Amino acid sequence: MSVILKTEKLRVEYKGQQLGQKSKVALNGLDLEVSSGEVFGFLGPNGAGKTTTMNVLLGFVQPTGGAASLFGIDVRQPIARRRIGYLPELTYYYKFLTAEELLRFYAKIFGLSRAETDRRIDETLKLVELDSARKRLIKTYSKGMQQRVGLAQALINNPDLLILDEPTSGLDPLGRMKVRDIIQRLKNEGKTVFFSSHEMGEVETVCDRVAIVSSGDLKAVGRVEQVMQGHPNLEKAFLNIIGYQN
Amino acid sequence: MRNVVAIAKVVLLEMYRRKDFYVLFIVTVLITAVMGSVTFFHDPNIVQYLKDLCLFLILASSLFIAIGATARQIPAERESRTIFPLMAKPVSRAEILAGKFLGCWLACGVALLLFYIFFSCVAVSREHSLPLAQYFQAATLQWAMLALVVGMTLLGSLVFTAVSSNVTISFIAVVFILLVGRHLHQVAVHMNAASGTFITGLYFVLPHLELFDVRDLIVHDWPIIPWGYWLGALVYAAVYSALLLTASWLLFRRKVLQ
Amino acid sequence: MTPARPFVFLLILLVVLCSGIAARLDCWFMGWQGNRANSWNPLDVFIGSGQRLFAESFYREADVYYHSGYYPTIYDNREAFQTEHIGEDTGAVASHNRGDETGFMGAPLDFIDSFGRHFYPSRHTHLDEGGPTDDLSTSYRVAEILPWLKIASKLDPRDVKTYLVMAYWLRVRLHKVSDAELVLRDGLRHNPGDPQLLFELGRIDFGDYHNLASARGVWEGALRSWAAEKPNVPRSERLKYAVENFDDRFIFEQLHEYLAQLEVEATNYPAALNHLKLAQLASPKPDELQQQIDDLKRKMAKTDSSSAHR
Repeated sequence: MSVILKTEKLRVEYKGQQLGQKSKVALNGLDLEVSSGEVFGFLGPNGAGKTTTMNVLLGFVQPTGGAASLFGIDVRQPIARRRIGYLPELTYYYKFLTAEELLRFYAKIFGLSRAETDRRIDETLKLVELDSARKRLIKTYSKGMQQRVGLAQALINNPDLLILDEPTSGLDPLGRMKVRDIIQRLKNEGKTVFFSSHEMGEVETVCDRVAIVSSGDLKAVGRVEQVMQGHPNLEKAFLNIIGYQN
Repeated sequence: MRNVVAIAKVVLLEMYRRKDFYVLFIVTVLITAVMGSVTFFHDPNIVQYLKDLCLFLILASSLFIAIGATARQIPAERESRTIFPLMAKPVSRAEILAGKFLGCWLACGVALLLFYIFFSCVAVSREHSLPLAQYFQAATLQWAMLALVVGMTLLGSLVFTAVSSNVTISFIAVVFILLVGRHLHQVAVHMNAASGTFITGLYFVLPHLELFDVRDLIVHDWPIIPWGYWLGALVYAAVYSALLLTASWLLFRRKVLQ
Repeated sequence: MTPARPFVFLLILLVVLCSGIAARLDCWFMGWQGNRANSWNPLDVFIGSGQRLFAESFYREADVYYHSGYYPTIYDNREAFQTEHIGEDTGAVASHNRGDETGFMGAPLDFIDSFGRHFYPSRHTHLDEGGPTDDLSTSYRVAEILPWLKIASKLDPRDVKTYLVMAYWLRVRLHKVSDAELVLRDGLRHNPGDPQLLFELGRIDFGDYHNLASARGVWEGALRSWAAEKPNVPRSERLKYAVENFDDRFIFEQLHEYLAQLEVEATNYPAALNHLKLAQLASPKPDELQQQIDDLKRKMAKTDSSSAHR
């Protein structure tokens, strides 16, 4: 299996916003590798550096040091994002567009042909069960429907790597189950999924491997069973690794 | 270029679905209609004041559309976080800026076209003639000016965090340039050496928007501008817009987005 | 649960109280001179007398129109425009402003200035001479200045010069005598007894309607009004006052000169002579008037001898 997501000694330091304010180290030399076909859980408490890592991978933030690549291409190159799909934690899309218009826009950016675009729009909207609402403006959608539009846009280019930032956050139990089903389905199709979550049960269920970060440092990485070793469940292992004393 | 066009198309759709343009168009039509209904000394040939008023409303409306629409593009994308799914696609920051610029400029062009069609109807109804070349020059030069305004506002949206402050500052800058841009070098003559040098520098650096405001030529039925100068003004607008876009890109390319 | 009835009563009480206060204040407000609500004009309501500030701009706009869009800004060389220019435009001197504005604006200061001069009117023209196209068949376009003058007069109805200029263009250049008369009468409504407006009105009666009696009445009324405007100047000093004050001298001289013309036409020579003598006292060119006086005296003598013969 080839490595499709890689960070080497990745360091991100945010400068103080005000004069005299100290800079903050968000990532301190992170080394990570995700191979194709894996479902990789990226865990850590709030402020650990999970979102920063994703921001670097997606080109939102420039690394201060080290390197990051997707499919062997430096993440600073837009072409590196050609084969990925991204679902942000909070899903806000152009509310003046319909779901179909939004997907068509993103498909165009991925350079899909017209026929391919039509086919992928049909497929993804059916997958996220929004086919009947495809002509409605997104501003008329419920929160759950907007989350599903987000998933549809992440899948429009049939990506080989899916980056999901807390994909089930804010969803009702039914919504969470549907997202888990979709991740499972993608895994079965041989896709790679890299996702962050606070839901340990969910991670334990769907992930092949996990990494735990805390205060910008990588604390543990390995198969779920390895990380859980000596603990009754992943949650206990996680708390122990980040040094939480109860 | 494909990405730029795709982004521009979304900006156009946004403008089409927002109410700003329709409100400004209706206000322009109403004011012009009210003023047009007034006859002065039973003379149906009096038309220049109506053309003047209508062209002023068109200028003001197009500036509102250009500044208002452009100022909110990047800040609104950041605030509503729609920029993140977009940037997670294979699209560069330069393409995003170029797409936003193109979209806003095209939207201004569409709005301007509709305004000028209305203006032509008003003028023809009174004058019974349509000097197409003059109207074409005025409309194209105004559209070129809007490219500069869009470029300035886009740059402002990367400097000023709040949309409102960017709109205010851009509007003041545009009005200032239109009113005194042409005279800055004359102002400099009457100042001391340091201030005079600064004002002269400003005169050469500021975009000369006043070159594109040729309303007076239309209102007073002057002959057309020589086509060489007209083309020169368009080239100037293109070069200056490229300059503004490059400056915007330099600010945007390493901006931390989170 | 809090009983609602006391609050309902309180509410009714407050409504009655508010209505009572409003009714009482309204009586006073309707009679108050600062009440703008009496006017249907939105400008009166919103900016009140502040609109007079804009009147001058609209008056100036008429001049801009007359020059087909060209007008010097505060940054340009206005000196020439304000002195020789006006004299030349009104035909007071032999030469006439025409052609390129280079003389007014000076040579371009730089390449931007030079390039920019193609994008705004920068040639001296007059609408009544065909405007920028120099085509005299379109000289009716001088009417284009009228909306701005009309708006200026609406914004500042106390400014007499606006009515005078408007009446001049309507009567002399556009031959719309009845409209000019209406404009002057409108001006008189806002400026009752103004000698300049009455003088112009008399010119219409005399020159256009050939109604000598009416013209005489209007001009004599103007003289009475002119005298009444100076209650602090003793009657015996008024002539001296008129001679010493340019504006007054001008209207005083004009009124008497025209009255003299009228009396000549009515063959009332002694009255004409009297008016010419008074005009001569205030005139900057008394020699010319002396010539007229001499002519009139000869005419009177001729008339006397011919009537003696008879």
